[in-house]
Amino acid sequence: MSTPSSPDALAERLAGLLGQCALGNQRAFADLYALTSAKLFGVALRILRRQDWAEEVLQECYVNIWNHAGDYAAARSAPLTWMTSIVRNRSLDWLRRPQSETTGEEYEIAVEAWQDQAPGPLERLAAAGEAAQLARCLEQLEAKQRQSIVLAFFHGLSHAELSGHMKEPLGTVKTWVRRGLERLKTCLSGT
Amino acid sequence: MASYRNPELRDRLAAEYVLGTLVGRARARFQSLMRYDPGLRRVVAEWEARLTPLAHAGKEIAPPDSVWRAINRRVRRAARRTGWWESLAFWRTFAVTSAAFVVALGVAIGLMPRPEPPISTVAVMSDSGGKPAMVVAWPPMKAMRDPHIRVKIVQDHPTMAPTTSWELWLLPGGKAAPVSLGQVSLDEVQVMKLPKAVTAKMQGAWGMALSVEPAGGSPTGAPTGPIIFQGECVRIL
Repeated sequence: MSTPSSPDALAERLAGLLGQCALGNQRAFADLYALTSAKLFGVALRILRRQDWAEEVLQECYVNIWNHAGDYAAARSAPLTWMTSIVRNRSLDWLRRPQSETTGEEYEIAVEAWQDQAPGPLERLAAAGEAAQLARCLEQLEAKQRQSIVLAFFHGLSHAELSGHMKEPLGTVKTWVRRGLERLKTCLSGT
Repeated sequence: MASYRNPELRDRLAAEYVLGTLVGRARARFQSLMRYDPGLRRVVAEWEARLTPLAHAGKEIAPPDSVWRAINRRVRRAARRTGWWESLAFWRTFAVTSAAFVVALGVAIGLMPRPEPPISTVAVMSDSGGKPAMVVAWPPMKAMRDPHIRVKIVQDHPTMAPTTSWELWLLPGGKAAPVSLGQVSLDEVQVMKLPKAVTAKMQGAWGMALSVEPAGGSPTGAPTGPIIFQGECVRIL
């Protein structure tokens, strides 16, 4: 199985595979897993910060994707967006279970990496074609707004956790997040 | 509750839900609102489209092989457990045990007053738990002067949330988009007249789906809400 080169080609391939999964085609499901599991495992691991939890969540999510592949047509999103949202939502719900208070140390959150103007992950984002606009708009935010949004989204930090990490009052952090999201939306719809 | 109608608040809550900063009871409440509010799901989908590229800005990390083995085991086990009602392979290969065939036929006959052309196609639609929820059946389109289909709700306690409607979709198969067959009420047995344009597509249909839509039906002509029942079409004559 070859890996599609452009994001559009990948999206088309994934949509086709999801359709096949809805028909019960297990080989298509294996291809879908091969094309997406490293992306989605990265997403889960960055939020959960524990290998065992991320493995558990990834397993649940793929079983869900298999069972609900037929619903994808109704979601009207890009296939990777649809699958990523399943993984992110499950990871966030898992993280906020009452019994999972402690976070593991296996995966270090690089808070500093998001502080300067041109951090590594943002550069990768800018290089990713369709995501370039998001990168441009993130760069236009104030540094604190950008940092809080990226930390929350990328690592699943709550307002309270953001406040702890950034050593700023809760209300201040909440305002950064809210204003940042507003500006991001304006910027993304502006071009 | 009224405040959830405020478009700015809805947008802000959707943004924070997608971002992940909506937590605890607020998150749970938002999730339950989303279930019955296709408009809210659209706002959420827009935010997901905006922010998701960021989720992939980090490194790809291959999961260990054991994860795939566990997933594959669970999927295969589920496939074996799947009942004959929803098993496409079962119907397609026509490995029909006589008992199952009699049940399908019984369902079909129960839907059909005598003087009509005989039912030739049945779609048994299941809910997300795999239980039969709705049966759609029809005679050959050419055999009818006013083409119609019969719909029977077989779910125990069907419920429709206020301000929503149920819309039935023909799934033509392949990459073709679903075709609306109209709205379904909660009546146990219903007859739906089909527009001319649709009748030609009924012959080759591979499945049926039911989605939850805003009152009045899908605003876009395509399913916008979650698919709650679906099933494959089976030719029985």
